[in-house]
Amino acid sequence: MSSSIVLQVENLVKTYDNGVEAVKGVSFNVNRGEVFGILGPNGAGKTTTLEMIEGLRPITSGTIILDGINAVQHPYKIKERIGIQLQSSSFFQNLRLNELIEMFAALYGCKVDPLKLLDDVGLKDKARAMVKELSGGQKQRFSIATTLVNNPVVVFLDEPTTGLDPQARRNLWELIGQIRERGTTVVLTTHYMDEAQSLCDRIAIMDDGKIVALDSPGQLIRQLLARGFTPRTEVHAATLEDVFLDLTGKTLRD
Amino acid sequence: MKTVKSFVAMVKASLKMFMRNKGTIVFSLLLPMVMLSVFGFLSSNSGPAIRLAITNHSTTEMAAEFEKELVQVGAFSIETLSEAEAADALGKGHVDLHVIVPERFGEMKDGRPVPEQIETRFNNGKPQGAQIANLVISQIVNSLDRKFTGNAPMLSIKTTGVTVNDLGYFDFVLPGILAMTIMQLGIFSVAFSFVAWKLNGALRRIQATPIHPFQFVLAQAVVRLIVVIMTATVLVGFGAWFFDFHMMGSYIDFALVCIIGALIFLGVGFSIAGWAREETQVAPVANLVQLPLLLLSGIFFPAEVFPKWLQSITNFLPLTYVVDAMRKIANEGTSLWELPGDLLGMCVWMAVTYTIAVKLFRWE
Repeated sequence: MSSSIVLQVENLVKTYDNGVEAVKGVSFNVNRGEVFGILGPNGAGKTTTLEMIEGLRPITSGTIILDGINAVQHPYKIKERIGIQLQSSSFFQNLRLNELIEMFAALYGCKVDPLKLLDDVGLKDKARAMVKELSGGQKQRFSIATTLVNNPVVVFLDEPTTGLDPQARRNLWELIGQIRERGTTVVLTTHYMDEAQSLCDRIAIMDDGKIVALDSPGQLIRQLLARGFTPRTEVHAATLEDVFLDLTGKTLRD
Repeated sequence: MKTVKSFVAMVKASLKMFMRNKGTIVFSLLLPMVMLSVFGFLSSNSGPAIRLAITNHSTTEMAAEFEKELVQVGAFSIETLSEAEAADALGKGHVDLHVIVPERFGEMKDGRPVPEQIETRFNNGKPQGAQIANLVISQIVNSLDRKFTGNAPMLSIKTTGVTVNDLGYFDFVLPGILAMTIMQLGIFSVAFSFVAWKLNGALRRIQATPIHPFQFVLAQAVVRLIVVIMTATVLVGFGAWFFDFHMMGSYIDFALVCIIGALIFLGVGFSIAGWAREETQVAPVANLVQLPLLLLSGIFFPAEVFPKWLQSITNFLPLTYVVDAMRKIANEGTSLWELPGDLLGMCVWMAVTYTIAVKLFRWE
């Protein structure tokens, strides 16, 4: 195993008690410092795969090695090294953002400067606000801030941009880019292709509990074209989203 | 060490969160204080003075002396009324006893008083006060008789005032209201918040951190215990300050019973939180548990009023043990270790509620 591989997943299987096979033998490696995307339609097994790696869901079979540690045998050691953003996680009511950051840091046994961390995600002026006062994009950025309190080796983001407007989405992409620049590996799930294309170094496409393709976005497109694919619609030099952003600007509407 | 720090941080944050919830403060402090005040005011005008009306037709020295002695009796409130006014007041129940001193009372003839009678009239429906008053009056008349005739008393009574534990209804009801508050705090504060956290994903977010889920549950329990001790301190202090609540026993024993009681009902709260899948399920089930306990555990009135067959059930309810231990300690000065029955009952209930809680609890 080369040291450039930070996460190694082999033959991961999840079969629920009712016999449903959510993940049917998934294998992939994630390189240190890259943004790795897991794509797929709803119900493809993306979230289940992530939750098994994160130690939130017991696995049926397979091996997971993260930062040299067997995640199945040492789920708590793994949790200390990773940051997890859940698909729909809420935070406790009646606590301010800075207090929540402090609490989460303490749960990892770390000390952070809440204001510095909130500044990193553009929420410094909201430090004394409650989570319920935040907009959708701000909530997601705050949620990402809580994943960074322990200076994690890998950050897992489950559909971080779902439900956000285009401006907030672009803004979050920038934030994910900054996390990557800090040298932190990012594993994210999404079902937005444009997001995968502009954010991810490599992507795995999942369908029906299996990985059906794994490569860089550019490589996957070239492979498709090489198979003689022609798009159904004529190709424009710009997309509708480009038009939208051109008309409404890129500034955040939070 | 790291674990301890995480735990303390968890407790601190949870306490902050808890205290910022206005509903909690209202239910655990304000409402019980209002109830205490109501019961306090209701029971504070117990034992009013015996109300006498006096009509004095005599102008003698002895008659004046008699009236003076009567006024000095602390248990009487005395008005001087005409015979007609007094009869009216007695008829309306404003006066308990009407004393009429006849015109020739106290007149002397050959060194002896003229035989005369003091007449008293009382309301047949309320004879208690009047009988006491009659006794006191005849005693005064006898002593006046001796004083004015110079006869040495043949027999006399020596009375000494003794201070006794003057336990009133308030002393009975304060432990009841405190036990009720602890029960509600235990059941509702845990059940509602855990179900909400379970549904909105906050619990799962905690699971994503290296803290063990059990530590999180424990931190929540510790927060509730801190609030219970605060509530007990405030309510007992409030009762003692404003309504003369008597604590005969040990404060530590009393606090221990509060904590044990809280632990029992936290177990009930965790059971409901573990079982419920929706927030709307919490209130009906929690009330199904707490309302019968509230009515049958002798919170507001002694359980002795129930028929025997019912008592054989109510005596074994968890809240009965808690409130009984509280009353024995506060009202009778018993130590907790002298109450093995209550102690055993509480421990059994704790074992029962936590067995159910562990069986029912789910994180999602």
